[in-house]
Amino acid sequence: MLMKIEKLIGSIGSEFDEHEIDVLLRRSRNRVDHALKRIRRPEAALGIVKSPLGELLVAITGRGIVLNHYLYDDDDLAVTIAKLRLELDLVEDRRTIDTVSGEIRRYLAGEAKALRHKVDLTLVASAFQKKVMHELAEVPRGAVVSYQGLGAAAGAPKGARAVGNAMHNNPVPIYVPCHRVIASDGGIGGYGGGIPRKLNLLRSEGFALAPTAVRLPDNVVWGHRGTKVYCRPNCRAVARADRASFLFFADAKSARHAGMRPCKICQPN
Amino acid sequence: MTLSKLHVPLPFNEIMQRHEREIMRYLLRVSGNREDAADLFQETWLRAYRAYPRLELDSEVRAWLYAIAANLCRNRARDRSRRARVIVSVEEKDPAGERTGSARREFRENDGYAAVRLSELVASLPAKQREALHLRCLAGLDYVEIAGAMDCSEQAARANVSQAIRKIKSLW
Repeated sequence: MLMKIEKLIGSIGSEFDEHEIDVLLRRSRNRVDHALKRIRRPEAALGIVKSPLGELLVAITGRGIVLNHYLYDDDDLAVTIAKLRLELDLVEDRRTIDTVSGEIRRYLAGEAKALRHKVDLTLVASAFQKKVMHELAEVPRGAVVSYQGLGAAAGAPKGARAVGNAMHNNPVPIYVPCHRVIASDGGIGGYGGGIPRKLNLLRSEGFALAPTAVRLPDNVVWGHRGTKVYCRPNCRAVARADRASFLFFADAKSARHAGMRPCKICQPN
Repeated sequence: MTLSKLHVPLPFNEIMQRHEREIMRYLLRVSGNREDAADLFQETWLRAYRAYPRLELDSEVRAWLYAIAANLCRNRARDRSRRARVIVSVEEKDPAGERTGSARREFRENDGYAAVRLSELVASLPAKQREALHLRCLAGLDYVEIAGAMDCSEQAARANVSQAIRKIKSLW
């Protein structure tokens, strides 16, 4: 009798056999998929990339590279993945991720168009930060802009600090070139991955920077974003113009390459 | 710096494929009808999907899924009983008491009746004991998993199941 009760409890609902479950599953799957579709997070391939700049945690969605994170240690890795999971459905995918390591290596070796992946700004939460990143994309290789100048371009002339924050929160360094943002006085500024990496990247883009440099070299030329004219830093045209409107080019060649013409007063060639 | 191997969480679809059948079986057997089971099945996976990013990487997925399913079953049972109470109070009678009160012992050995009587008894158990009993006997979880699903100690899980069985036996 007692045994029987335990057996009976185990048989509650056993009138629903496996065939019945099959039928119900088939019907329910579509419903579930349909309901899930509305709340699905974007899918992203995830992997660790070894690059000349160190190890990077990389995520790539269908729209482009969404994360390119300088890794510090295992804790950093765990925390970053935990945060990433809230926004994306992660899938480990070496083949997709490995393309990034080659791109970065070739880029550092001087190949200007090596970074082929598009950028996906999904992880950038604030509209202002997105705007800043879009403006930053206009700063070409071989040029840098000041935090203040970038703020002005993004519609916040007093927002140098906010730009600094945006750069600090840049989820896709290298691809979104936040290493091209420096202090207004020509100081190198900061970098999420550490100053040596910033110097490394800028050097590969044509700036003559020693490994211990703290400022841009003196031979940069100043290009005005509005007039598309570039000058020596001591030109009197430079003194009259708003500082925030300038890009700083590694040399005259980079400035010409960016579509600028030399100044007729200081003739910086 | 050498990093330990990258530990990527299982894709949610894979978890679904792995566990959908047993979850459906559990829901069917607990709810006792197809419509409820289908509803609860959808709700279980929606909730699981929403909560999945916050599930720690090394936790028991199976127990976690059963926890969601069991919570939903409990909520549904509670909503049912509330609605039933309203209807009863309006009509001013007590059909539930009528049915459960009279244990027709002469039919006890009849399997068909035994099943009805048994589900009544299970339904009359306190929620925790009923849930533990379901997880143990219908889903076949072990006590560690039940403890994980019900967020209690293994001993408590064991006690809930054994008390449930003892109570049913004594009322039989």
